[in-house]
This record gives sequence, structure tokens and C-alpha cells, in this order.
Amino acid sequence: MNITIRKLCATAAAFAGLGWVQAQAAELTIWHAYRGGEKTAFEKVVKMFEAKQVGKGVTVNTLAIPYDAYADKISAAVPRGKGPDVFIYAQDRLGGWVESGKTVEPVDFFLDKQTKDQLLPGMMEAMTYKGSVYGLPINYKSITLIYNKALVKAPPKNSAELVKIAKENTKADSGRYGLAYWYTNFYFHAALMNAFGGHVFDKDGKLAINSKESVAAINQMMKWYKTDGIMPPEPSEALVASLFNEGKAAMVLNGPWFIGEISPKVDFGLAVLPVIDEAGKKPMRPWLTIEGAYVSAASKQKELAYEFAKFLVSEEAGLVLALEGRQLHTNKGIYNDKRVSGDRVLKAFHDQLATAEAMPNRAEMTMVWSPATTAMNKITKGNATPEAAIKEAADNIQSSIDALRKSR
Amino acid sequence: MSLKRWFSGIYILGLTVAVTVTLALSAWLFHGAERDQWLQYERRLAQVEANALADALSAAGPDEIGRILKAWQSSRPERQSAVVIAGMEMIGSAKSEDQAPRRLIRAEKPLYDLANQLRAARETNLSEGVVRKKLIVFDEQAKDAFVVTVPYLDKGEFAGVLQIRMRHVETDVSGTVSYAGAALWISIFLAAIVLAALLHARPEMPRDAPKIVALAAFLGLTLFYQSQRLETFAAADLESTRRVASAVADAAKQHDVKAVSPAIVSRWDTDQYQRPLGVIRTDGAVVGDARDKLFAERAKLLERSLWAVEALGLVLLLAYLLGYMRRLADTVRHHAAAYAYVAPAMVGMLVLVFFPFLYGITLAFTDTTLFNESLPFSERWVGLVNFFAILGDFNLFTRNADGVIWNYQNFYWTLMVTIVWTLTNVTVGVTLGFILALILNTDNLKGKAIYRVILILPWAIPNYITALVWRGMFHPQFGVINQILQLFGMQPVGWFDGVVSSFFTGLATNGWLSFPFMMVVILGALQSIPKDMYEAAEVEGATRWQRLRHITLPLLRPTLVPAIVLSVVWTFNMFNIIFLVSGGEPAGANEILITKAYKIAFENYQYAYAAAYSTVIFVILLVYGVFQTRVTKATESY
Repeated sequence: MNITIRKLCATAAAFAGLGWVQAQAAELTIWHAYRGGEKTAFEKVVKMFEAKQVGKGVTVNTLAIPYDAYADKISAAVPRGKGPDVFIYAQDRLGGWVESGKTVEPVDFFLDKQTKDQLLPGMMEAMTYKGSVYGLPINYKSITLIYNKALVKAPPKNSAELVKIAKENTKADSGRYGLAYWYTNFYFHAALMNAFGGHVFDKDGKLAINSKESVAAINQMMKWYKTDGIMPPEPSEALVASLFNEGKAAMVLNGPWFIGEISPKVDFGLAVLPVIDEAGKKPMRPWLTIEGAYVSAASKQKELAYEFAKFLVSEEAGLVLALEGRQLHTNKGIYNDKRVSGDRVLKAFHDQLATAEAMPNRAEMTMVWSPATTAMNKITKGNATPEAAIKEAADNIQSSIDALRKSR
Repeated sequence: MSLKRWFSGIYILGLTVAVTVTLALSAWLFHGAERDQWLQYERRLAQVEANALADALSAAGPDEIGRILKAWQSSRPERQSAVVIAGMEMIGSAKSEDQAPRRLIRAEKPLYDLANQLRAARETNLSEGVVRKKLIVFDEQAKDAFVVTVPYLDKGEFAGVLQIRMRHVETDVSGTVSYAGAALWISIFLAAIVLAALLHARPEMPRDAPKIVALAAFLGLTLFYQSQRLETFAAADLESTRRVASAVADAAKQHDVKAVSPAIVSRWDTDQYQRPLGVIRTDGAVVGDARDKLFAERAKLLERSLWAVEALGLVLLLAYLLGYMRRLADTVRHHAAAYAYVAPAMVGMLVLVFFPFLYGITLAFTDTTLFNESLPFSERWVGLVNFFAILGDFNLFTRNADGVIWNYQNFYWTLMVTIVWTLTNVTVGVTLGFILALILNTDNLKGKAIYRVILILPWAIPNYITALVWRGMFHPQFGVINQILQLFGMQPVGWFDGVVSSFFTGLATNGWLSFPFMMVVILGALQSIPKDMYEAAEVEGATRWQRLRHITLPLLRPTLVPAIVLSVVWTFNMFNIIFLVSGGEPAGANEILITKAYKIAFENYQYAYAAAYSTVIFVILLVYGVFQTRVTKATESY
């Protein structure tokens, strides 16, 4: 008995000692949701960062967390002082994390001009909430025009050309359509809404979805769907993919995640989204989702954590993430590299960036999706006029927002 | 032995335990409330200082900042420091060694972040037209001092923040309350014991009289204690308000304000949102009604907790007087070993089941949302508001020219859908399961084992996979169901467009998923029915139907009823199928209660409202469970 206790004590002491030695060296924990090639590239960048910190004994541990559990895990762990030093997530949750507090550390104190200047324009906007910067943007995604080269000779520059090409390729009774995208999904529809100058929130954060611009954008979509008849009914992610892969959709609007799903039999091209003549020749402006690296408010080593985030947006990390991880990195410099500018996919999405805008990072945005989808479904099925459906959606969203923004 | 017996008498034991528990808990509550009261008072003084100083800075202009801060700090020893920062700059400091103005250093990042936080808070409150962000922030970590930060305005615009640090001054507003409290405590305790001893010693009283006397004594003693302490508590609040009034006057003198105007009082004596408290007049007098109201508001939680404690004590006492405690003690002693074995499981249940459960129910009584979850619990407490909002909303439909328009967001609509959903699903599952079980139970059926395996398959596949497969099959254009319909020349159906057709998609999927369970249960029961019963019935000339009706069904009942009870609870909360197949389409009409609660919590971030929703679901199932157990008991005999 005595010996066992002594053994236990010895082991405990050894572990404690080990812990103490480890505590001497700085250790960073990073959470992300990458898989496959993105994960490999990310881990390579982590190794590069460690190599740069030689002598300081910095070790960086990465932990890949399944995407569907990721955001809730951060919301639960970090405010209670647990969790990583740095975590990577898109901007859509940022507003909620800032509002609920004790989750994301503001970094504008650390942020210098140099770091900002090396980034593509418009990226910091997604990381900024109510005037403070909370993270460094790593990569962006937006939709763009992807077309079947066998069916479309030259991609359309404006909506008139788009409709013309699409009509040539539409034969509804055999299930062929000139244009396919998930137009009932508000995320995809936003490109049209933004073209007409509509917004979900105005700059003060007031709900602005019920506007004549929104209605005009819906009417444009309904024109394509009903009047021109160039789009399939009941679109979904899977439907758009199968139509395009079977050569039954000449053009689709989709994002970088779609590239891997395209069948090798389809020779595809990419082009910037067209200008909408009806919107006063304004281009379609898709939403950008931007992934940022955030320093955790619970981190014990915020400066080192920030250094790591800063390294992620550097040119050398950007090249690895772009070329090996296939990410659309935010560092300007990498697009001068032959290997990046020579890659038609990376180049096409980079070109689209000029007319893209960051999706709102307000917490209230999650209240928009469901009512907006309901409205889009009602409109496309002819159950409501655009005006009535948008007004109803706006009322529902507003009451959810009011429930949240209550006076104390 | 007799002493031991004396001590274990129900009056002695009951009164002692009940009074001790009630007094201890009440004292603990008062201790907490008084500490909080003291903290609030000290903070209010610090707020007056900070608001007055920020006011003086704004009035004097940016060039005077250093002078004013230094003058402020040097005039009292407890004033430790004061700095004003604007953007990346420290533009003023009471300490000369700070050499303001200068750029902030790394160690001052928290101050910089705090300034940004207050700027955003002010903008949020102004732009949203509500007051939900605190404009006065205390450093909770600071020991021995109050560190308070307020916005610094220049010409009415946010220009930066002022942070002051003041040492704790030991002033006990409540005076000698702790000694008086202890004395009161002991005397009440002694009184309880003496009374109990008297009750114990005089058993010749009529049967129930000692119990009633004991109850009355308990109530009298504990309520007396509580009212005494409440009185002191209220007096301390009044006293602290008076002192705040004199602090306002002092601050006016400090900053050379000639006369204290109403505007000054309302700017200086505020809550943390910089809203005027309106409890003191310009001459330093206390506004009676306003203070009473404010105090009542603050003391509400304390009073309610006291009632809860009182109720707990009463329950304890009754448990002793009515003999439940003795029985409990006997059981524990008797089955000590059994309890020891069960203890690990009980601890596990406590941590993993009961704690989250109770937390959820508690949450339902607050107004917690994403935006205020970091506030302390007491500030979020709202009582039954959520339940009234859920159960009291009868806006079920509106009428217009086109007829009745149902409000699919209403609780009662969702409840109705849930009940219809449960009933239809259980009916489908039981009917299908019963038919298939009867077929499989046929003697000499060839390939029985193969059929059985195939029929159990839907149950073996994870239900979310099945749900997604079915969702695909219901796609209006490319789904296999519509393609089959078209094959027979029928029009394709937009399955998720109509309330009924969308409901049907869920029903079909869940029917597919639930019949194997019922089939297995029923098959097992069928095989345990003795064959000779059927043989006897056949000899008597019973038809097939009669045999089914009078032998099979009654003998199935003991197995079937618990299976149905279980199935009802499962289906009632069948989240996956609704969420994945129809997603509540169209427009949330096919949402069931549990998916609705999910959406309220994780799409609308109204955590407390969702918790209240879940509590209502729990109560419904509890009522059903109790009711169902009775029914089951009635059938058990067979």
C-alpha cells in the first residue's frame, strides 16, 4: 500500500515538474475547422511560424474542430477562460461574440499600418465591429460566374447578354437551363440586391431590408425566372451542381467550394458577375465571407497570439495557403506571384473581389436568413407579391431584433 | 438513552433543524444583500466623483485637463489617480510622472480597449434608441480600490474616457448590524429550543395542538427575524442615499459650482447607464417616493428569496412533524449499502442531468439573450414574463377577405401541430408494426429470418441519414416520388409548399423509421402468447377475427402500452426528422415545439425565451407521463 502511494506521489511530482518545464516555453493553441488540403497547408504555415521563433521555444498546437460544433464550442469555452489562444472563423459570428463579451480580444491597439496595407482592400471591414478591429482577415470567398465552355463561347458582360446567351441554352421541357443558381437562398440573391443598392442594415445598424431597391432586385430575379424562363424552379445546392455537371446548365453562380464538385467531363470557365442594365449598369455585388484569425479574450499570451495571426496574413504564409490550401488569401502581394496569377481559379475569384462587398458581421444577421428564405419561397411560388413578402419578412426580423435590443 | 430519545423527539429535532436552516439561509441572504448594498453605495459615490470630474473637464476644455485632474487628486487622500485618454493618446493625468500628453504604452492596452468599448456603447445606445450598454464601467478585478471609467465628452461629442481610482474607505453604512444580527440570531434560536422542549415535555395537549403550536412558533420566530433585518437593511439604504446627496454637494464645492442645479444632480447621481436616479433634490434632501421605489426594486429579489427560504423551512418542519423525516432516516439506515452502491450513479445524474435541467428552468425566468448574457444573474431576472408571453399569446389567426390566416409563429399552433404529429406518427408506427408482426408471426413462413432483418434495417440506419435521403426523394423536380407520380401521368407535387403535404413528408419519414421498433416489440409479445389458447378457441369455433380480437389484442396490451408511451415521448420531441426533412416549411407551419425552441435559441439568440419554451414542453410531457402511468397501472393487472 505504502509503496503504491509513494509511486503515485513520485509520478505526480514528475508530471508537475514536466508541467513546470513546459510552462517555461510559450505555447499557443489554435482552433480551426480545416480539413484535407487546407489543413495540411495550415499546419505547414504553423511549422513555418515555429521555425521563425527559434530560441524562444514557441510551440503551436493546432486543433481541428468539426465545423458544426465549432462556433458553439467557442461561445461556451472562451468566456469561461478556457479554449484556444487564436481561433479562425468567418465574420458572421463576430458581432455576436463581441456583443456577448469576453470572447474576442480587440486588436486595433496592436494593428500597425504596415499590416493593414499589405491586405486587399475591403477585408478589414469584415473584422471591424462598431469601430473596433477584432481580428486579421485570412481569406475570402464569394460567388462568381462559372460557365460551361462547350455551351458558352464568351461569358456575358451585362444582363442583356446574359439573358440572350441563357435563352439560347434553355429548353425547359428537357430540363436544360441557361442560368442556374440558388436564387431562393438569400446569400446568393444578395449579389442582385447589392447591385440595386439594397442593404440588410444601414450604417447605423437599423434594418433596411424593406426598401424599393430590395423589391427591384426581387423583380429582376423573377424576370429571369418567370418572364425569361432561363432558370430552373426550386433551386438548391445539389440541383445546381447536378445540372451543371450533366451539361444541362450553361452558367451557374457559385463559389470556390463548388470548383471541387465540378465533374472532370465539364470544361468550365470563370468570369466576373455581369453588370445589371436594369440597375443603372451597376455590377452584381456578391457577398464576401471572410475568415479571420481572432485572439481569444481568455488568452494568457495575447501578444504572441497576435504575432501568430499577423504571420497568417503575411505574404509567405499567404503563398502556402493559396497554392497548397487553395485558399483565396487576403495578402495583396501573393497575386503578383506567377503561380497565383497563373491559376485561373484563384485569379477569377480575385477579379470578382473588385465588385464584392463584405457580408454584415452583425449578430442580428442570423435572424435574417430564415424569414428571408420564407419570403423568397413565397415570392417564387407566387404566394405573395415581392412587396408584401419583404414587408412581412422585415416585420418578423424587426420583432426578433427588438427582443434582443431591449433597454435594461 | 433517554437524552438521546429526548433529542430525537420530533418537536425538538424539527424545530431546531427548521429554525436553524431558515435562519442560516436568511442570514446568508442578508449578508450577501448587505455586502452588495455597501458595494453599490461605494460605487455610487465613485460614480458621483467620476461624473462630476468628467463634467468639469468637459466644461473647462482640453487645455485645462491636467490642472483639474491634479487639483482633484491632491484635495483628498483616497483619490489615488485619474487619467484621460483619447484614441492612442493619454491627454491628461493627475500624476506628473505620466508626462501627459503621450502615446499609450503596451501595458495600457486594456484602458485603450475600454475607451473603445465605451465609445461603441454610447453609439449603440444612441443609434438603437434603447439603453442596453453600460457607460460607466468598474474594474471588477481591482482590489482595495474602485477603478471607474466614464466617457469624456468634448463639446458634447465622445472624445475619450476618464478613469479614476479611489481607495476603499471603510464606512459601514449598516452600522452595528452584524453584532445586533448575531444577538438576534442566538436569542431566536434559544427561544425555539425552549419552546420545543416545552412542547416535548407536555404531551397531554390535544392530539394535533403541539404541531400547530410548533408551526406557529416557527413562522413567528423566523418572520420576526427577517422583518428585523429588513428594517435595518432599509434604514441603511436611506442613510446611504443621504450620504450620496452630501457627496454631490462636496463635488460641487470641489469643482467650484456655485449652485447645485437639477441638471447637475441628474448628471452626477446616475446608474451605470448614466440615467439619472432622481432620488436626491438639489438641496441634498432625499426624494421619498422615488427612493422607496428604487429600494423596492432592488430589494425585490431579496424578499422573494426570503419567502423561498421560509417555504423551505416550513417544508422541513412539516416533514419532521408528519414523520416523513423519521421514515426517510429509517430507510437510509436500512438500505445504507444499497445507497452507497447507487451513490456514484446518483452523483453522475446530478451533474449530467439535474444540474443542466435546473439551470435550464432557472434560465427561463430571466430575459437572457446573446446581448446580455454577461450581465449578472440578478439583473436578468424577470420572473414569469416569458411564460406569459408564450402561453398568453392568443394571436392564433387573423381574418381578412381571403378567409382565415393562421399565425404559424404562435405557440398554440405549434402545440397543435406537435400533438397531431405525435398522434399520427404513433398510429402509423403501431399499425404498420402490428401488421408486419402478424405476418412475420405466421407459422412455417419461409425466409422469416431474412424478412426480419430487412424490416429492421430502417431502424439500424442512423435516422439523420434516412431523413436526408427522404428529403431528397421529396424534391419537386428531381425527387423519385414526383418522378413516379409523373410516370403514372400525375402532376408533380411541391411537397414542401403546402402545410399538409409538408407535414406528410415528415410523417412518411418518421413512419418508415418507427415501425421496426413497434414490429419487434409486438413480435416478441406475439410469440409469448401460448399456442393452446388459439387451439382452444379454434375448437370452440372462434373465427380468425374473434381470435385476434379476444386473445391476441388483450394479451398484447401489457407490452404494447409501455411501448406506445415511450413512442409518444420520442415522437413528441423528434427533432431530427422535422429539422432535416421539411425544416418546418412552409413558413414555419410544420415546426414542432422542440424545433421551434431550437430556432428561438440559436437563430434568434433569445436563450431565456427558448428555455421557457423547453420548460413548457417538459411540463406537457410530465402531465402526460403522470396521466399515462395511471392508465398503464390500470392495465397492468391483466
